[in-house]
Amino acid sequence: MSSVSESSKPVPAKRKLAAKPHLVQDKVFFGVARAAAVGAVGIVGLILAYLLFMSWETLAKQGFNFIFGSQWTAADPENMIFQIGPMLWGSLLIAFNGVILAVPMAIAAAYFIEFLATSRIAKIATTVVDLLAAIPSIVIGLWGVGVFTPVAAHWAELLNQNLGFLPLFKNEAGSFVGSPFIAGWIVAVMIVPIITSVTREIFSQLDRDVINAATALGASRSSTFMKVILPTSSGGIVGGVLLGLGRALGETVAIFFVLNLSFEINWVDVIEGRGGSIASMIVAFFGAATPEEVKALIAAGLVLFVITLLINWLAAVIVAKAQPWRK
Amino acid sequence: MSEQQTATTSLPRPDQSPWQVRDSRKTRNLVLASVLPAIVSAAIALGMNIDATIAMLLIFVPLQLVSAGFVGYRIFGRKGIADASLVIFTIFFSALVGVLLFSVLFSVITEGAKAISPQFFLQNNVYITSTTSLEYGGVGHAVLGTFIIVGLTTLVTVPLGIALAVYLTETPSKARGAVRTLVQAMSGLPSVVAGLFVYAALISTGFTKYAGWLGSLALIPLMLPTITRVAEEALRLVPVELRNGALALGAPSYRAFFQVTLPAAKSGIITAVLLGIARIIGETAPLLLTVNYANNTVLNPLESMAALPTYIYQNLDSANDTSLQRAWGAALVVLIFVGIIFTAARLATRPKTAKQKVDKNV
Amino acid sequence: MSDLSNAANLSTIEAHLRSEDVNVWFGERHVLRDVSLTFPVNQVTALIGPSGCGKSTFLRTLNRMHELIPSAGFAGRILLDGEDIYEPGVDPTNVRLKIGMVFQKPNPFPTMSIKENVLSGLKLSGRRGYDATEIVETSLRRASIWNEVKDRLGDPATSLSGGQQQRLCIARSLAMNPEVILMDEPCSALDPGSTRRIEETIEELSETMTIVIVTHNMQQAQRVSHQTAFFLAEDGNPGGVVEFGKTEDVFNNPIDLRTNDYVNGHFG
Ligand SMILES: Nc1ncnc2c1ncn2[C@@H]1O[C@H](COP(=O)(O)OP(=O)(O)O)[C@@H](O)[C@H]1O
Ligand SMILES: [Mg+2]
Repeated sequence: MSSVSESSKPVPAKRKLAAKPHLVQDKVFFGVARAAAVGAVGIVGLILAYLLFMSWETLAKQGFNFIFGSQWTAADPENMIFQIGPMLWGSLLIAFNGVILAVPMAIAAAYFIEFLATSRIAKIATTVVDLLAAIPSIVIGLWGVGVFTPVAAHWAELLNQNLGFLPLFKNEAGSFVGSPFIAGWIVAVMIVPIITSVTREIFSQLDRDVINAATALGASRSSTFMKVILPTSSGGIVGGVLLGLGRALGETVAIFFVLNLSFEINWVDVIEGRGGSIASMIVAFFGAATPEEVKALIAAGLVLFVITLLINWLAAVIVAKAQPWRK
Repeated sequence: MSEQQTATTSLPRPDQSPWQVRDSRKTRNLVLASVLPAIVSAAIALGMNIDATIAMLLIFVPLQLVSAGFVGYRIFGRKGIADASLVIFTIFFSALVGVLLFSVLFSVITEGAKAISPQFFLQNNVYITSTTSLEYGGVGHAVLGTFIIVGLTTLVTVPLGIALAVYLTETPSKARGAVRTLVQAMSGLPSVVAGLFVYAALISTGFTKYAGWLGSLALIPLMLPTITRVAEEALRLVPVELRNGALALGAPSYRAFFQVTLPAAKSGIITAVLLGIARIIGETAPLLLTVNYANNTVLNPLESMAALPTYIYQNLDSANDTSLQRAWGAALVVLIFVGIIFTAARLATRPKTAKQKVDKNV
Repeated sequence: MSDLSNAANLSTIEAHLRSEDVNVWFGERHVLRDVSLTFPVNQVTALIGPSGCGKSTFLRTLNRMHELIPSAGFAGRILLDGEDIYEPGVDPTNVRLKIGMVFQKPNPFPTMSIKENVLSGLKLSGRRGYDATEIVETSLRRASIWNEVKDRLGDPATSLSGGQQQRLCIARSLAMNPEVILMDEPCSALDPGSTRRIEETIEELSETMTIVIVTHNMQQAQRVSHQTAFFLAEDGNPGGVVEFGKTEDVFNNPIDLRTNDYVNGHFG
């Protein structure tokens, strides 16, 4: 009796399967797709290489002071100093500010849409959030200048009057306009939709049976939220927040109009009317910049890009981990 | 579909869905728990002349928490207090999102409407100073400029993005993961850096002056990740059985793609294009650095042109009442375009799902 | 006695399609070992066996659909009229023109009408100069669905029921006029009525073409097939053919105990 497993014949060698298409049209078809891949990789590589190449001189000359120093003078051609400390810190401060303001709004909106609202209201709310995401930042900037700045300045004044004893809400200049606080709000408006939609997706993928089982066992809405919903979705929410942070760091024109740029570093005085932002600085300086200054601006842009890349990469890793069903 | 929905809203749902508050008694209690505090705090604020923001935060919200907690306690006992606070906080912060968005839309629409008239769409910005009356001048040149700049970018990026999506879905290449990662990394490229790249490489080197096509160039890396990602998702959604069915009939790969996969993914691809356009239509910084402005109507992309976002920037920059009004008008025009794209994207995906529903019923 | 003796009897009939020592891998995993089967002209061969033993995989090697899976590995020969379809110079699309395939789940093209679906193979393979009306009618008639759809040829294919869609897929394959048709559990997703009709169609088609059908349904194998191959993969080992012979023999006088157990429903 012969059997499947007892066969004593040696296993034959694998044959080569057709790797290449036979037809000319197919060759063209796949060739174009490959060329697109090569082209796209080329564009990305070119941008990175060029940014690096152009930044090199500045980075080499200025050293670590490029990131940590706070001076920017191109007046003396013998001794040009380009240091972006206040701008880099300002970008981070505004982005953190924005994230801190946006996170409660985003989680609340996501929780509202997924767990509180009727299906019809949830649909409307989802559309509203998507719409908010589609508003160009220059329009938000216009709104920031024309409508929001006075309101937020008033809020800042109230904070200063009532909580001014905290170092955070100190204000010595007396002006509440042009502060990182206001820029943070503007950025928050822009990143709320991103964080909301990531959080909402994570919430919607939660196992309803587990949640219902928790309620069936007598858990209250709030303890279900704190003990079941938040812990299981925290990874995804953190990923969404990082995505928002990446977006916030790159925001340019909206901040340009509401922020008072200053090369005097503003550590935590968020309602003081001066701050920094790399992206806004580029817009503000490029027009009158000398060739050396342009190189320095590029180096600043590169620093911003690298930080954004790291944050986005971290966000992608965290979101992918939190959503294994996506792969 | 709509029948089901009305059913959901009119019938109290059983325990199956404890998340949806539908009990009329509960609703009444909630209204009591929020209307009463609202009246009380409004009265205090007006009577004692307290700042509205402070009244809101320090009187209304705590009052509401207390009253909602009380109602929750009466219905559910101790755990009702925490639940009520959760609901109050959720609604407060969600409402804040709603108010912010509403404020943006409301101000753009009301302020923009003041500037908008037929002439605003038709005229350009020549001879317009910051003091010229709103009866003269408009965004006609900027609309055309935006169409040309965004159109050129779309013309290049859409085929590139779709070809990339084909590479990522149809070829067996091992480098796909790396290519995808690299292309998506571009979505983290700050738009101002994209503009600065083109500015430094082509303008500050003296190779060419500010020009529309440079703006299109700077927008490519911003549009590409969006189109590629959405198009790839759309192609992936086409069941592999369809593609295999075509190949099993003896179709070469390119025909299987163009006659079976692509038509099946059509709405997704259209969405990809629309989302890509929406992504770049309002981009300002890259255009500032590469195109600059023009006040007259320029249709030649080899020269400086006007565009809607830079028109807003320009008018916002001169910070004067009439120019601010023009900026609002242009913002409204941008929002109208975004709205059209948005609606078109919705429509592009809708008929298909509707059809699928019908198919399921058969 | 070895199961090879039954195969020897069969090989006196003219072989149309034949596999010689076919081995298949997915990545490093060896899933089929030394499958040698002969498919004579105008005969229906049923492939049976528990799921996961490699029947579909084997079927896909017969028209080179197998290599569409990136990790696929293959060894052995598949001879169509004596010629190895895996020879380097052979274009797989030409192989698939001669050896059609019907899938487990009906997969009509959703963006095309019924008529366009029937003609899709011709379009997709770039044929010209055919009589569309005639091909549509004969193909649909041969797939025994003409009467049901003749008045609605322009309707979307997705408006048909599952059984009708599957017969449309058969018609789509027939329009190409293949010599061999491979069917992978074509009735597993269908109701008994549709199954009956497809079985009748298979019987009629076997007058003019060679058919290989994978089925989980023992009665179906006995009703439609002339010969049967029983596949089995024993724990951890690659799958292979345990028994191959005339359908009556395999079902009524199986040589191997495992075949006996399987056809009598003792496992699988
Ligand atoms: N695309 C694939 N990639 C990896 N393994 C596969 C793939 N398709 C099938 N297999 C494996 O090959 C074996 C045979 O599968 P299949 O031919 O589908 O079995 P059958 O059709 O007999 O149920 C199974 O163990 C299955 O897990
Ligand atoms: Mg199978």
